[in-house]
Amino acid sequence: MDLEIPAAAPAKPTTAAVAAPVTFAEILKHPDIAARFQQVRRYFFLRESTYDMTSRCNVRCDGCYYYEGDKQNAVDNVNATAWRDLFRAEKARGITFVVLAGAEPALVPELLEACYAEIPLGAIASNGLVRIPESVGYRIHVSVWGNDATSERVRKAKRMLERQMEIYAGDPRAVFVYTFTRENIAESRAVVEPLAKHGCKVTFNMFSATVGYQGSLTHTPESLAETRQTMLRLLADFPEQVLFSPYSAAAHTDARSLHNLYSCPYPRQNQGQFGLGRTFRQYHSDLTWVREASCCVPDTDCADCRHYAAGSAIVTARMNRHIGSADQFRSWLDYVDTYLAVWVQGYAKSPNLCAVPVSPSLALQPEANR
Amino acid sequence: MSQTQNGSMERRIAEILIQELKLENITPDTFDASCDLVKELGIDSMDLTTVVLVLQGEYKVKFDEDSYPTLTTVHAIADQIRQLQGTVS
Repeated sequence: MDLEIPAAAPAKPTTAAVAAPVTFAEILKHPDIAARFQQVRRYFFLRESTYDMTSRCNVRCDGCYYYEGDKQNAVDNVNATAWRDLFRAEKARGITFVVLAGAEPALVPELLEACYAEIPLGAIASNGLVRIPESVGYRIHVSVWGNDATSERVRKAKRMLERQMEIYAGDPRAVFVYTFTRENIAESRAVVEPLAKHGCKVTFNMFSATVGYQGSLTHTPESLAETRQTMLRLLADFPEQVLFSPYSAAAHTDARSLHNLYSCPYPRQNQGQFGLGRTFRQYHSDLTWVREASCCVPDTDCADCRHYAAGSAIVTARMNRHIGSADQFRSWLDYVDTYLAVWVQGYAKSPNLCAVPVSPSLALQPEANR
Repeated sequence: MSQTQNGSMERRIAEILIQELKLENITPDTFDASCDLVKELGIDSMDLTTVVLVLQGEYKVKFDEDSYPTLTTVHAIADQIRQLQGTVS
C-alpha cells in the first residue's frame, strides 16, 4: 500500500469563488474532534526539561548526539542528594515532566529514583541493555537502530535487540524506538515484527545528524520517501503495537527539517519568553545548563533535525498552524495523541482520526508558503 | 476591577477565558482585566493558544505568532484585537 501525501494547497486562492475560512469553533463542532481535543488538552500542563544523568555509557554508537559538543566533558555529579535538591527546585519552578538521558541513564539508578521521588511524570532514554528498577515508574524508551548485525556494526554491541527484548518485553513502561537511518530502512519489518509479536510497543524516530557529522547514516530525499512509506505500512500492519500516525510520518520525513517546517520553540532557536523558550532547560551531568544551547537533543544539526523528541514539542506547540481545515486539525490531534502515548506512562493511544497524511507544508507560516 | 471605555470586549474575552480554561470562582464581571494571565493565573502557552484561536474566530482577526508573548492580560488581548481590526484611534 502506497500512501501519498497530498500536495499542499496554494497559499493564495486562484478563483473568485472562495469558501469562507473555517474557524476554530467550527472545527470543534465535529464530535470526533471535540472529544479528542478534550482528551489531549488535559495534558497541556506538561512542561518539560531534560537532564543528562551521567557521561558514562556501556556502548558507543556511531552518530551518538551525547558524545558531541561540550556536554560530554561535564564532571558527573553522582550525589543523589544534590540531584534530589535539583528536582525539588525544578518542581518548584513549574516543571511537570522530565526527560532523563545520558549518555546511559540506566547506569545511575539511584539518581533516577531521586528524580522519580520528586516528579512523577517523565521518560528515560536508554539503550535498554541494563534494566531500570521497577521503582522508577517512568516511560522507558529503548533505542533500536536496526537488527542485531547492524547494531553490532553501528553500536559496537552484540545481540542487542535480543538482549533488549529479554529485559523489556512485557514491561509496560517500555516503548521501543526504532531509529530510521539511511541504511536500515529495509531491516525495520524484521525488527518490528518480533517486537509486535512479543507485545512490545514501538514508535519511530529519524536519525538526525549531529553538527559536523560525516558518517553514512544521514538521510537523503530518496531515503526519506522510502522511510515514509515503510512507516505507513508498518503502522497499517501493526496498529495495536505501533504508536504513530500518518501525520507523524509526514512531518518527520519531509525534505525540510522540523525547525524549517515549524520553527523550533526550544531556547537554542527561540530566546523568547513564551512557552518552551521561557521554561525549558537542558541540564548537563554536573547540574549546569546553558540557555543558548538548550534543546531536547543538543548538538543536533537543526537543518537535519527530525528527531521524535523534537517533534513532540515542535509540532505540538504549533496548534495554531493546524486549523486550516478539520482534517488538518485531526492530523495535529493524531500527532499529539501519539506523543502522549509515547511519552506518558499510562496514556493509551487512540485510533488515528485522519488516515491519510496531511502535508506539513500546510502548517508553514503564510509568508513561507510559496 | 479594571475596566475601560470599551469594556464589552474585555468582558467577552474574560468570558471566553473562563469558559475555555474552566476557571472557577470567577465571573466575567469580577475578572481583573489587568491581571497577568501567566504569572497570576498560571495559564500556560497551550491554553493561551487555545483562547487565541477562539478569539480569532469570534473577532475575525489573525494574531501574529510573534505577538503571543505580549498577550499577558485581558487588556493586552483586547488592544491587540482592536489594532488588528483597525479600530484603535
